[in-house]
Amino acid sequence: MTTGSALALCARQELVLAVRSRWTQLFAAVFGVLALTVATSGYILSGGHGVQDFARTAASLVQLVLLLVPVTALLIGVLALAPDRGADELLYSQPVARRTILMGKVLGLLAALVGAEAFGFGAAGVVIFSQSGNEGLGGFLLLQVCAFVLTAVFLALAALIAAGSTGRRTRALALALVTWFVAVVLFDIGILGVASLLRSGPASRLLIVGTLANPVDAVRTAALLGIQGTTAFGPASLSLLRFSHGPMGAGVLLAGSLLLWLVGPLVWAARRLSRADL
Amino acid sequence: MIRFDSFSKRFGRTCAVESLTLSVGAGEVVALLGPNGSGKTTSLKAAVGLIHPTSGTVAIGDPPRPALEPAARAVVSFLPQKVLFPDSLSGREVVEFYRRLRGVPAERTDAALRFASLNGASERAVGTYSGGMVQRLGLAVVTLPDASVLLLDEPTASLDPDGLCAFYELVEERRAKGKSVLFTSHQLGDVDRLADRFAVLVEGRLVAVMSQGALAERLAERGVMRLRLSGRPSTLLDRLKPLAPDARWAGDELVVPGPASLRPAVLDRVRSEGVEVRGLTAEEGRLDLLYRELVGEER
Ligand SMILES: Nc1ncnc2c1ncn2[C@@H]1O[C@H](COP(=O)(O)OP(=O)(O)OP(=O)(O)O)[C@@H](O)[C@H]1O
Ligand SMILES: [Mg+2]
Repeated sequence: MTTGSALALCARQELVLAVRSRWTQLFAAVFGVLALTVATSGYILSGGHGVQDFARTAASLVQLVLLLVPVTALLIGVLALAPDRGADELLYSQPVARRTILMGKVLGLLAALVGAEAFGFGAAGVVIFSQSGNEGLGGFLLLQVCAFVLTAVFLALAALIAAGSTGRRTRALALALVTWFVAVVLFDIGILGVASLLRSGPASRLLIVGTLANPVDAVRTAALLGIQGTTAFGPASLSLLRFSHGPMGAGVLLAGSLLLWLVGPLVWAARRLSRADL
Repeated sequence: MIRFDSFSKRFGRTCAVESLTLSVGAGEVVALLGPNGSGKTTSLKAAVGLIHPTSGTVAIGDPPRPALEPAARAVVSFLPQKVLFPDSLSGREVVEFYRRLRGVPAERTDAALRFASLNGASERAVGTYSGGMVQRLGLAVVTLPDASVLLLDEPTASLDPDGLCAFYELVEERRAKGKSVLFTSHQLGDVDRLADRFAVLVEGRLVAVMSQGALAERLAERGVMRLRLSGRPSTLLDRLKPLAPDARWAGDELVVPGPASLRPAVLDRVRSEGVEVRGLTAEEGRLDLLYRELVGEER
C-alpha cells in the first residue's frame, strides 16, 4: 500500500464518519439556516423590495463565518483527531506512518466541513440569485474560499491540540475552546487595548502585526477586502493596506500568513503525534 | 519473530516494564501472564510501535526491525485489549477498511467475517453490537492479513465457548504455518490449551519463563494423593519419611504430596505396615496454584 492510497483511504473513511456524525449534520443545518436567514432578512426587512444582493449578503455573512467556522472546526476536529485508547490503537498499529493517518483524517474532515459550508452557501445563493441576479457573485464566492481556508487552518490547530492529547479528550476539548476564545475574542480586545496606549506609529505597526498574526483577523481582512474594497475597513486593516502599498500586497501578506497557520500546526502536529505513546 | 531486548518503559514515576528480555520464535506460541497492571499491555503495545521504549529495543520480523518503523509492522497483526470501532460503521465496512489498508485481496473480507461468525450482523452498525461481538470483529480484522506475527491482548476476554473454539483453531493454524504468536490472558485455560511457553510478569519484571514441558514436570511434582486407610498406626508417618517427607494426617485421611512416580512405592510401604487401603484419590498440580505461587513469591 502506497502512502498516497493509504492517505486517500483514511480520508475517505473519515469523510464517511463525519458525514454520519450528528455534529457535522448539526453544523450543516445551523450554518444553512443562518446563511438563509441572513440572505432573506434584507428582503423581509425591506417589505419585499430591497433585496440584498450577493455583495451585501456576503458582507453580513463574514461575521457568521468568523463566529461559527473556527469553533466548529476546532471542536469537531479535536473530537475526531484525539487518539482514543481502544478506538485508535488498532488503526495506528497498521503499517502506515502516523502522520499519513493524521493527514488523511484531517483531509476527510476538511471535505466534510467544506461540504457542510457549501451546502449553507448554496442555499443562500439560490435565494439571492432568484431575487436579485448575480450581481456581486465574485465577493460571495471569495467569502466561501475564505471560509474553507479558515476551516483548514482551525482543523490544523485542532490536529495540533489532539496530537498531544492521547486519551485525554476532555482536556483537548477545553484547549480547543480556549484557542477559540483567544483567537476570536481575546486577541482583538488585547491588541486594541495595547494599541490605545501607544503613540500612533507603534500602534499602527502593532495593528498590522495583529492582523497578520491571527488567522481570524487575516480572514476577516481578506474577505472584506475582496467583497467591499476598503470601505468597511477598521484601523487595523487600513494600517495593513498602507504598509503593503495597496490591496495586492495586502492579499499576498494575508495569504502568506494563512499558509503558515495551515502548514505550521500540521507539521508540528505530525511531529507531536509521532513522538506520543498511544 | 518478536524480540524484546532489555525493554523498559516508564510513565512518569511508574515503571510499567523493567528490562524485559524475551523472544518468540517462528511457529511458537507464548503466553504473557501477570496480575493487573503488571506491564503486559505495555509490552505488547511496544511490540507494535504504539509505545516508545524508555530504554532497550523491541524488534519484529525476520530480519528483525524496530517495531516503531511503520514498514516493520507489515508483518504484524495486533488486537488491542479494549478494541472499539466507530459506532456508525457496519462490521463489514470496518473489515473492508482494514482489508484495503493492508492491501489484502477482496475475498478475505467474507472469510474474516465468517471466521467471526458475524455474517448475520455484519451489515449492522457496530454501535448495536454486544461486547463479545465487538471482540469478534476485532479478531476478524486480525485474521485479515496472513501476518507472521500475532500480538493479541486478552483475545479471549469476552468470547463465548464457540468464539473461544474458533480462536483456538486460529492460533493452532497459525502455529502450524510457522507464525509467531504472543498473547496475554488471565484465563489459565488458554495457556494450557495454546502456549508452548509462558512468561510471568510481576510489577514490570519477568519472574518466570517456562516451557509446556517444564510446566508439566513442575505440576507433576505438585501432585497430591489422599488415602483412606483401615487404621492409623502411629509409626506410619515415620516409616514414610524417606519416601514422602511431607506426608501428614488430615482428619482420617493420609495426605501424601509429591510426584506421581512416587505413589506406587508409598502404597507398598503403607500395605507393608499391615494397613488396608480403602479409598484413594490423586490430583495433579494445578496451574493456577503454581501461577499464584510464582506471583506471590515476588510480592
Ligand atoms: N499511558 C499510561 N500512562 C501512565 N501509566 C500507564 C499508562 N499505561 C500503563 N500505565 C501503567 O503501567 C502499568 C502497566 O500497565 P499495563 O496496562 O501494561 O498492565 P497490564 O499487565 O496490561 O494489566 P491488565 O491485566 O489490567 O490489563 C500500570 O501501573 C499502569 O497504571
Ligand atoms: Mg492489559
